[in-house]
Amino acid sequence: MTDNRESTRRTFLKGSAVLAAPLAMAMPVAAMAADDRAVRLQRLEDEAAIRALHQDWLRRVNAREADMAGLFVNASAARCLDSAVCGVASAPGAAQGDRIELAADGKRATGRFLCLIETESRMAPDSTLAQMALAQGGGVSRDQTSRRVRADYVKTGDRWAIAAIELAEV
Amino acid sequence: MPAKPDPQVPMHRYAFTKLDDNQIGAALARVAATGPVSASPLSDALKGKSIRIVTDGDGPALAYRFTANNRLTLSENGGKAIEAGYGALVQDHLTLFTHLIPGTLRGYGVVIDNKSNIATVVEMWFGGYKDKREVMRVIYAGYVEQAGKPAPAARHVASNRFEGKGFYWKQDTGYETLDYYASVAYSHFVELTGRGDELGFCGPSDYIQINDDFYIYTRTECEFSGTFTLYVVDLNRQEQVGLRLGFDRTDAFEYYVFRGKGEWLGQIAQFEKLGDTSGGALPDPEGGGKGARRIYRPLTTMDKMTKAEVAAAVAKNRRVFAPRVGAGSGAAGMATHAAPPVDVLAGKTFTIRYDGGPVMDYRVESADTLNWRKDGGAWSKTRYNAWEPVPGVVMFGHLLESEPDHDGHSIVVDMNNGCVTCFNGFLNTPYYANEAGVRTLFGVIDGANIPKAGTLRHARTRELLGRAITWNYAPNLSSMHLYSTPTTTSWLIFTDSGSLGMQWSGPGDFVKIRDDLYFLYWLEEACNGTLGTILVNMRTMHDTGIGYHCGKEGLSMSQVAAHARHAGLFDVQRFFPKKEG
Repeated sequence: MTDNRESTRRTFLKGSAVLAAPLAMAMPVAAMAADDRAVRLQRLEDEAAIRALHQDWLRRVNAREADMAGLFVNASAARCLDSAVCGVASAPGAAQGDRIELAADGKRATGRFLCLIETESRMAPDSTLAQMALAQGGGVSRDQTSRRVRADYVKTGDRWAIAAIELAEV
Repeated sequence: MPAKPDPQVPMHRYAFTKLDDNQIGAALARVAATGPVSASPLSDALKGKSIRIVTDGDGPALAYRFTANNRLTLSENGGKAIEAGYGALVQDHLTLFTHLIPGTLRGYGVVIDNKSNIATVVEMWFGGYKDKREVMRVIYAGYVEQAGKPAPAARHVASNRFEGKGFYWKQDTGYETLDYYASVAYSHFVELTGRGDELGFCGPSDYIQINDDFYIYTRTECEFSGTFTLYVVDLNRQEQVGLRLGFDRTDAFEYYVFRGKGEWLGQIAQFEKLGDTSGGALPDPEGGGKGARRIYRPLTTMDKMTKAEVAAAVAKNRRVFAPRVGAGSGAAGMATHAAPPVDVLAGKTFTIRYDGGPVMDYRVESADTLNWRKDGGAWSKTRYNAWEPVPGVVMFGHLLESEPDHDGHSIVVDMNNGCVTCFNGFLNTPYYANEAGVRTLFGVIDGANIPKAGTLRHARTRELLGRAITWNYAPNLSSMHLYSTPTTTSWLIFTDSGSLGMQWSGPGDFVKIRDDLYFLYWLEEACNGTLGTILVNMRTMHDTGIGYHCGKEGLSMSQVAAHARHAGLFDVQRFFPKKEG
């Protein structure tokens, strides 16, 4: 079985490098400078939009908001996290390692963020002690692990949305 | 004044009458105008005074005029004044008074600190969970308004500073109890003037700190009579003043104020982070309404099965030391710290003779299969597990499938002296067929290379009486045992903050196997029906145990094990004068 998402991501990242080189060689210098500034500006704006999207996603996950509409390309994509995940936070010192890579067509991007994933699970009520723990508002086990959040983004019109999110071991 | 002692039925076995509004209202109407009775002289400290108590948040403003030492008028929130009877008692600089509101099912208990003018108001009403006889309460922090003076900033506050204490109390009514305050949300009480069967019971409680020396305590006897008790504790003088409101087991209405003299039982450990003195560790339930709090109601939630249902469930599913995978597999989280079973009995043949009980012959095939027969009957093959937590001491357990009451034996054998103790669990008990019963059997083992015990036997012990021991079964699953009487095991559940929260209790028995090695059980009567048997090694601070449980999912015998810590000792031996043995 192949990992289609991984294949797709590699394909478009390779494609972006291939497409970028001919553009740079064919342009006159002045036009190239103007276009380069426009491209760089667009790139900065896209990166900022994606970072804002990522922060919005973090906020909603941590607020345990069920409604992720508007952040994802569709409802299926929004169901990206295991139900045990109750919190996602940027790992200490992670900002320098976080990366956003834009495809050359400016319509797709990939983000990699080092995060602390907090999971929460309620113990099964299979003993009197567990039942009492649950009854008093406890009985919940929490765990925190470092994970690399890998997000695929797509741009439709002028709006970015999350196409997929995966958690990978660091 | 209530008649004591109560009928000879244990509190958890009594079928309390479901009283309705009319029955409760009629009883209250008779005393609302006169106020509570008191065996001690009522205080006249409030006579002739008018005070206004202001409470925080949504609490009431109460304007009182005390026209005599037992008559008052009250205006709630500026409303029309009503007349009622009241009773007041003074303890040092604190005044406790209480009254009902005629024509209603409610009243107030109020504690005023006369030095600071800080007040705690407890509104009480009949209207409990599903049973009107259960007294509800809500507690308001506030103060007594002083003309021309600003309101005091401080308040009486919920605190864990009372957690871990214990008192013997004797009220001026003659009512004697041991009150254990091991939790921040519950308490455990033993009625010494009750049936004399030395069982303790639990109820949700409040602990309000006035200062380091004085506390306000409440208890509601939920799942039982629903009676509400409130008292002020003077820790240093070992005295109390309080009130009691409710219907006793005979449905007689109790409403009285009391003084009490106490004896200090001790202070056990607390497990909150150092410096944490906060109370109220249990979050209120969402949407629970006025006075709602988290209350353990095991009788309400447990499976209640008939004998036929038990027979069908047992026939369908018996799990003996089975892998723990999902519902019906036993208490999965309670064996995380378990040692693996051993094959020390494999290949052995022996007989256990119980005094006044069965003669059990055994042929042990392997580490998990044995053959048994009872009193020379037919042989049966069954699954078992065994452990040797101390060299020469073997604990093993198995079901007796052919027995009509689906017996299970949890057995400790001392191979060095031939003594045996068995906690014999069984079903089809009179109250609920799936609730375990238990008998303690003492006996001897006859087998090759095992010394003859002769007349030597294991014996019951009080070395654990008053002790508190914590048990960690798994991450986020820890409890504390409190061995509150010679026949009671109480268990409390830790909160995430290290406070002890919900508490319940059941019958227990305690047998000394060797020095620092005890075999005990807790029986969850009217509470899931589980029989928990554990061999407690006080040197390794680890136990080896077997749980025996029947529910709709079937009958199970499963391993139990936890890491222990000493939590302290209450000095209660003197209240239980019987000898060991």
